[in-house]
Amino acid sequence: MKRLTLETLDNEELLSVKDLVVRFYTYEGIVKAVERANLKLRKGETLGIVGETGSGKSVTAFTIIALTPSPGRVEGGAVYFRRAQGDVVNIIKLKEVELLRIRGKEVSMIFQEPNAALDPLYRVGDQIAEAILSHRLPEILENVIKFVEGELRRGRSGFGARLELWAYRKMLENPKSAILAILRRIPIIKNLMTRRLKHVVREEIIELLKLMEIPDPERIIEAYPHELSGGMQQRIMIAIALACSPVLLLADEPTTNLDVTVQAQIIDLIMRLKNKLNMSIIYITHDMGVIAEISDRVAVMYAGNIVEVAPVKELFNNPLHPYTRALLESIPRPGSPFKSIPGTIPNLVNPPSGCRFHPRCPYVREACKLEVPELVKVSEDHYVACLLYDGEIYGKYGGHGRSEEILSDKRRNI
Amino acid sequence: MKTRVETKESPRLKELKFIVRRIRENPLSLAGLVIIIFFTIIAITAPVLAPPRPGRDPYIIPRSGYFPEPQPPNLEHPFGTTEGQYDLYYGVIWGTRTAYRIGVLVVAVSALIGIIVGSLAGYYKGVVDEVLMRLTDIILAFPGLILAMALVVAFGPGLDSITLALILVGWPTYARLIRGEFLRITSEDFVEAAKAIGCSDFRIIVRHVLPNAVFPLLIVASLDIGAIVITAAALSFLGLGAPEGYADWGQLISLSRNWITGTSGNPFAYWHVYVIPGLFLFLFVMGWNLLGDAFRDVLDPMIRRK
Amino acid sequence: MVIPTLLGISLLIFGVTQLFDPIERASLYIRDPRQIRFVEEIIKKYGLDQPFYVQYFGWLSQVLQGNLGWSQSLHMPVLEALITRFPATAELVLYSAPLTIVLGIFLGKISAVKKDTVIDHVTRVMAIVGWSLPAFWLGIILMAVFYGGFGIFPPGRLSPWAEAMIRSGKFKAYTGLYTIDAILNLNGDVFIDALSHLVLPVITLTTINVALIMRVMRSSMLEQLGKTYIIAARARGLDSKTVIDKHATKNALIPVVTISGLLTAGMLSGMVITETVFEFKGVGYFAAHAATQLDIPAVLGFALFAGLIFVIANLIVDILYAYIDPRIRLR
Repeated sequence: MKRLTLETLDNEELLSVKDLVVRFYTYEGIVKAVERANLKLRKGETLGIVGETGSGKSVTAFTIIALTPSPGRVEGGAVYFRRAQGDVVNIIKLKEVELLRIRGKEVSMIFQEPNAALDPLYRVGDQIAEAILSHRLPEILENVIKFVEGELRRGRSGFGARLELWAYRKMLENPKSAILAILRRIPIIKNLMTRRLKHVVREEIIELLKLMEIPDPERIIEAYPHELSGGMQQRIMIAIALACSPVLLLADEPTTNLDVTVQAQIIDLIMRLKNKLNMSIIYITHDMGVIAEISDRVAVMYAGNIVEVAPVKELFNNPLHPYTRALLESIPRPGSPFKSIPGTIPNLVNPPSGCRFHPRCPYVREACKLEVPELVKVSEDHYVACLLYDGEIYGKYGGHGRSEEILSDKRRNI
Repeated sequence: MKTRVETKESPRLKELKFIVRRIRENPLSLAGLVIIIFFTIIAITAPVLAPPRPGRDPYIIPRSGYFPEPQPPNLEHPFGTTEGQYDLYYGVIWGTRTAYRIGVLVVAVSALIGIIVGSLAGYYKGVVDEVLMRLTDIILAFPGLILAMALVVAFGPGLDSITLALILVGWPTYARLIRGEFLRITSEDFVEAAKAIGCSDFRIIVRHVLPNAVFPLLIVASLDIGAIVITAAALSFLGLGAPEGYADWGQLISLSRNWITGTSGNPFAYWHVYVIPGLFLFLFVMGWNLLGDAFRDVLDPMIRRK
Repeated sequence: MVIPTLLGISLLIFGVTQLFDPIERASLYIRDPRQIRFVEEIIKKYGLDQPFYVQYFGWLSQVLQGNLGWSQSLHMPVLEALITRFPATAELVLYSAPLTIVLGIFLGKISAVKKDTVIDHVTRVMAIVGWSLPAFWLGIILMAVFYGGFGIFPPGRLSPWAEAMIRSGKFKAYTGLYTIDAILNLNGDVFIDALSHLVLPVITLTTINVALIMRVMRSSMLEQLGKTYIIAARARGLDSKTVIDKHATKNALIPVVTISGLLTAGMLSGMVITETVFEFKGVGYFAAHAATQLDIPAVLGFALFAGLIFVIANLIVDILYAYIDPRIRLR
């Protein structure tokens, strides 16, 4: 294994995943879900990650936000992230307290099944409020305090307002204050104490929902998740994710389970909000059409490896990895016969040796079974992990530039 | 993470190996297994461990006299005697057989009735299903002990009545389970296919549906044996079971009720009369519960992912 | 749904009565001991030699009028016996059920959150041990240790002096639950006495039943903790305590409501074994006593009562469900 070199991000970059290794410890064995994945994300960029189910693309996204799902463990590598203040942190090494300040505030996530991602027992308004209150409480409290002070100066309110003002100041000083915790247990006082705060947060939420192009937000915030359509639920999820204007949005197949028409609306919305809020996006999908439409650059994942990274145009015009090519060819086109990739995604408990794609690869050579290919740069911004393009290793096995063969082969096909 | 594991072994054999491995790895289930093996050996070797007097019913505990006060453990009576001088050692050894007889008989017959009723309901659906399931609903709506008690009273006290009552109370659980499996499995393609190539109904049930229901049935059965033996002992304890002097744990415990407070100088003078038979009952039930719990863990798809 | 189930239960119970011969069945219709001499007339009058359905409707109309028959073991009508014994049972449930449920939820929750740690293993072993303990044996052991050994926590519901006090005119019975009545009468001595009689049965019931709640809570909690909305809640920056307490726990409680309802119903319909061991004269004690005396009307009346409690409990559980889960409210 190559020695990990600690490098900070250059100015253009927001995020860098370095040699990430994630394994799942199950009864069936150790699932090597992500194996030495490398990714970079620039500021304001949309990076698409494509791959089949089980290729490790969602696991990578969950790991970026330090929420690797349960039997999974990060076994190596780093996720460098540039915080809003400019310092670079390794998310993998951060303490939970630090992560709480990043999750939902600087990095947010939206999910494949909006229905499953919302707690069925709480009104959607409450769930949006959670996101706002967990990160923006001080800012909102200051606003409320100013508001109440103004009211008092105009001599409008009496005891209730004074109690509230005291409570808000206390909250601002120390949100975990014991007195407040006790008072909050008493229903009537709790109501009195937080009346204006609730009002301000509610206004915030309504603004946010308007931004999400949700009609009738006053009604929607009172609704329970099951009362909303899938598209509306996803809009709520987006509202939660963007409540604190994050710099990075992780979108894990956000439209896979939606109707086609709704799908287009949601993608449109995400892209418009991206420009408005100046975010970067990592967009995970297996839909090549969506990838072509929205991404700046694309990373292709196969069985836990990133096999090819290239700008979107370059990838579609000049796919280098045999898997990428197969993936592009499997996009159904009218008039041409449906093509699928022969074989199935390998068992990741005992993945194939060498290149994990070799059992399915039409260009397989002896070397592919023995050597693990590294991502190598083939042209500006275009990286591929395939021995066919790695002359150095390939030479060791007495071969010669087979890339010529595959390239010419490709031109014949497309 | 979903992964497909390709295997050449038969899936059921693989499942069995998996279960065995899991049980061997888990100290708790191993303890359960050891306890059950221990009791099984006792039950099998009862005539050797506690030889009955020739020509007498071996389940009747021999007594030495009619003196009411229990005697502490001594050479002649290793566990002492109960009220009325029944030999406690003999009683708990043969009581193991009684426990097994009731537990296994009730579970076996309930499961059989459950399989038949559940299969009928699950396979024919419609009105048959509706009627049979309403019946199970009503029985399950009752607390088991209370219904069993009413039935025992109706049949007249005795171990056979208890067995019969527990079967009548117990079968709906199995019927429910089998029916559920049926509805799940008969909706799958391979059963449709079996039907299409002209397999008989009986063959489909026996060859395709029941094997799939075996493991869930095992969990319920192993947990059930414990519960049944406790309930039977409880009914015996209340005085609805075997006649006095019969080798039955519940009855032996009920014989201790007058001797809980001990003598004035020694409050625990008669400890053996309640501790020993109760310990046997408790360990027996716990053995089955430990095993059942292990089965449940192994078979719970949610937990097994770990 | 309630009425068909009740009808089914009554049919089942009446089916059981058909196992007896008409003379025994006649006692189901007797209200007064003097009637015993006229058994033949009763058989005629209620048509006990008639076909099943005729008898069933005859009996059902009696039941609906509140006549559950005459209990020979207690020398009073069955309904009256149930009503006079119920407060004792209710008092026991008042303390055991909440304790069991709260403890079970608490243990199940930490066991799930700390899955596969020492805490989890210890809790689960304790639960299996508790679940495997026969109530009557645990009761006997507790009594041998505390009452026999230390002379505290006696069996029964009250000491004789306290019994005499509540029977005197000075003590007003409001509820029949002695601890509550003692508070209402501002009588500290009776309160403490009643409470000390409750300790052992409550410990017994809690030990045995806590595993039931714990197991459901644990697996329900584990299921919830694996759901996407938990990850989503954490992804918006909530700390794990909030995620567990506010989101996972509330969702996990839904199946616990059912099992708690059934548990409480099971307890309310009489804790036959526990009440018998501790001579705690509630509904269950009465039923066990009647059963050993082969007092058929009493046992059947008791079974009917238990069925009724269960049906009501199911109804309450449904209402609670709707309160907790907004998805059900619409229906």
